Amino acid sequence: MEVSGTPSKGKLIASGIIPFAFLVLLIVYIFGPGSDVLDLGIPLPEITMEKVDFVDSEILVTVRNTGPIPVQVVMADINDRIQPAAIEPDRFLERYETALVRIPFAWNEAEPYIIGLTIEDGTRFEKEIEAAAPALEPSLELVGFFALIGTYVGIIPVMIGLLWLPFIKRISKNKYHFFLALTAGLLLFLGIDSIEEALEVSEENLADSFNGALLVATVVLMSFLGLHYTGEKLVKRAESSRLTKPVAIALMISIGIGLHNFGEGLAIGAAVGLGSIAFSTFLIVGFALHNTTEGIAIAAPMSRGKGLVGKALIGKLVALGLIAGSPAIFGAWVGGFVYSPFTSVIFLAIGAGAIFQVIITLLRWIREEGDKNLSSAAVVSGFAVGMLVMYLTSILV
Amino acid sequence: MIASISVIIAISALYVTFPESISAQQEDNVFVTHTGGIIKTTGEIIDPVYGTLLDPEYTESTVEFDAMEYLREFNYGVVSTLPDGTTLREFTIIAEDDKIMEVSPGVFFNVWTYNGTVPGPTIRATEGDLLRINFINNGSKSHTMHFHGIHPAEMDGVFEMVGPGGRFTYEFEAGPVGIHPYHCHVMPLEEHIVRGLYGVYIVDPKESRPVADEMVMVLNGLDTDFDGENNFYAANTIPFYYQNNPIQINTNELIRIYVLNMVEFDPINNLHLHGNLYNYYPTGTSLVPSFYTDMITLSQTERGIIEFEYTYPGKYLFHAHKVEFSEKGWVGIFQVNDNKQDQKESVVYGS
Repeated sequence: MEVSGTPSKGKLIASGIIPFAFLVLLIVYIFGPGSDVLDLGIPLPEITMEKVDFVDSEILVTVRNTGPIPVQVVMADINDRIQPAAIEPDRFLERYETALVRIPFAWNEAEPYIIGLTIEDGTRFEKEIEAAAPALEPSLELVGFFALIGTYVGIIPVMIGLLWLPFIKRISKNKYHFFLALTAGLLLFLGIDSIEEALEVSEENLADSFNGALLVATVVLMSFLGLHYTGEKLVKRAESSRLTKPVAIALMISIGIGLHNFGEGLAIGAAVGLGSIAFSTFLIVGFALHNTTEGIAIAAPMSRGKGLVGKALIGKLVALGLIAGSPAIFGAWVGGFVYSPFTSVIFLAIGAGAIFQVIITLLRWIREEGDKNLSSAAVVSGFAVGMLVMYLTSILV
Repeated sequence: MIASISVIIAISALYVTFPESISAQQEDNVFVTHTGGIIKTTGEIIDPVYGTLLDPEYTESTVEFDAMEYLREFNYGVVSTLPDGTTLREFTIIAEDDKIMEVSPGVFFNVWTYNGTVPGPTIRATEGDLLRINFINNGSKSHTMHFHGIHPAEMDGVFEMVGPGGRFTYEFEAGPVGIHPYHCHVMPLEEHIVRGLYGVYIVDPKESRPVADEMVMVLNGLDTDFDGENNFYAANTIPFYYQNNPIQINTNELIRIYVLNMVEFDPINNLHLHGNLYNYYPTGTSLVPSFYTDMITLSQTERGIIEFEYTYPGKYLFHAHKVEFSEKGWVGIFQVNDNKQDQKESVVYGS
C-alpha cells in the first residue's frame, strides 16, 4: 500500500497542477506572442474622479485611471470653464494609478460645482458636486466631536435598548419568541439597508471596472461565510455549558450590529464633511431612535441567559453594548477624515454579511426554542413588526 | 499555490486601495492662477490658459501650424495674365482627414485639413480676377470646396463630390468684394466643417483699401469628445494662443481684421475689443462702415471687416463677450507699442 501510495499521491498533485500550468502558458502566450492576433477593438480610456475636496481657495480632485489603457490628464475645468491646474505626481496615469489634481479656485460654500478633466485625446470627464463644503481638517476638537456623535448614535441608544432586558426576561415564552423574531426582522432590515447603501456608494463613486454590485455580493458572502464558520465554533463551544449559549448569540449579534454601525458612522462622518450641520443633527436623531431597537436585538437572547445576574450580567451587557455601539465612533472618524468610497463599500458589505449570518443563527435558535415552529403567530408577527419598526424609524434618517 | 494567489490578491487589493505612493522629491513648479495667486506644486502644471504647446519634436502632432504666422498670411496664388488682360490666380488645395494636431497643450485631435492646417490657407484676390483652384482630395472620405460668393452652380462644390484620390478644378471670377468663407460641403456637413475643413477667401476692391496692418481671425471651436458641444473656442484654432503670445501692433496705425465666425453647435459668437471701438463692415462688401462699436454678434459663417487705431500704448484684451467662449480659449491680447515712425511703408494689396 505504501509503495503504490506515493506515486498515486504524486499523480494526484500532478493532475492538480497540470491544468494550472496550461492556464499559465495560455496567459503568457496571450500577453506575449499572441497579443497581436487578439488585438481587436478599440480600448476606450476612462478616468474616475473618486474624491473632491474643497480647501482654502483650491479644489483637490483625486483621479484614478479606471480604463484599460494608460492616459494623460492634460486639462482641468470648473463648471466647463478651463482653469490652470497642477497634477501631482505627474499627468501620466497607468491603469488604476491615481493622481491629485489641484485646481486653484475661489469657490463658494454650499454652491454646486461640476469638475471636469480632459485627457490627451480630448475626451472630457466630469463629476458633479452638489454643494461645496470645506474639507475637514483633523483636529483634536473634531475628533472629540465625532466621538460624541458616535456615542449619541451608537453607544447610548444601544444601551437604552438593552434596558428592556428585565422586561423581556419576565414575559412568557410566546411573547419572547415574538421579540426574538422582532430582532430578526430588525436585522434583516439593517442588512438590506447596508447593501443598498453599499450599492449606492459604488454606483456614485466607483468606476465601472470595480464591478460594484459583484464586489458587494462577493464581500457580503465572504463576510457571511467567515462569521458562519467562526460563529458555529463559538456556539458549539458554548453548548457544553447551557448558560453561555445566549451570550454567544448575543455576542454575534453585537458584532454584526457593530459592523453595521461602523457603516452608519461613515455616513454620518461624510455628511458632516459635506457641511450641512442641520442635516446632520436630523440624521443623528434618526439614527439614535433607529439604533435603540438594536439594543433590543441584543437584549432578547441575553434575557434567557440563566444564572446571569448582578454585576456579571451588567458587565457583559455593557461590553456587548460597546461592541455594537462604539464602531459608530470609528466610522465617523473614518467618514469625516479619510473618506474613501472603496473602503466604505467594503465595510458596508462586511456589515451586511455579518447581519445575515446573525439572522440565520437567530432563526435557528427560535426554531430550537419554539418547538421547531417558525410559522407561529408570535414569530411571524414579530418578524413583520421588526421590519416595519425599522422602516418607520428609517424615514427619520 | 493558494497562498501565493492570496498574497497576489492582497497586494493588488492594497495597490488598488492605496496607490498614492509617496511622491518623489522634485523641485517645485510654480504657476499663476486666474486671479493672480501663485501656486507651488511638486507635480506638473496642466495649463492651457497660460501654458504653451508641447515641444513638437516629442509629440505625435502631424500638423505644422503657427497661429502668429497664419494671422498675417495671405495667399495670392500663382499669378498670370490672360490674353484679355484678366489676372488669373491659381491655387492648389489638398484636403486630408488623417492629421493629428496638438490643438491645446497636451490635447491631440484628429483634424481634417486644407493644405495641412486648420483653418486652411487664406485665399486672396481682387474683384474680377479669375480664380482657378486645383483641388485634390487626399483624404479617406469625399470632400469638396464650397465658396461663398457669386459663381456658376457647377462651381458651388455641393453636388460635385470629390471622392478619395479625386480632383476637381473650381474656376470662377472673384466677387463680390468682401470676406467670405470656403468650406467642405459633404454630408454630414456639420462634421466636415467642425473637423476643420474651412478657410477665408478675401476679395479686394479694385481700388485698394487704405494701408493697414491686416490680419485674419477665424473664430472657431473644437468638439474634441464628439458630444455636440465645443470643448475649446479660439481665434485661429489654438485656445488662448494670442493671450499667451500677444499680437504686436502700433499706436496710431490702422488695424484691419478680417473676421469670420465658423463656430458650430452654438448659435452665435461675438467679438469685443477693449479700450477702443471699431468700424465694422458686415461681410466687407461696402467700403463704408455700418457701425462704430466695440461689440459685434456673428452667426454661423457671418463675417466682416473691423478697423481701428489705438491711441494709447499698452495691453488690450479682445475676446468673445459670450464669456463661456473666452474662458474656453477665445481670448487674446493686443500689445500696443508706441509708434516710432508715423508713416508706414506703403503696401499695395492684391499684388
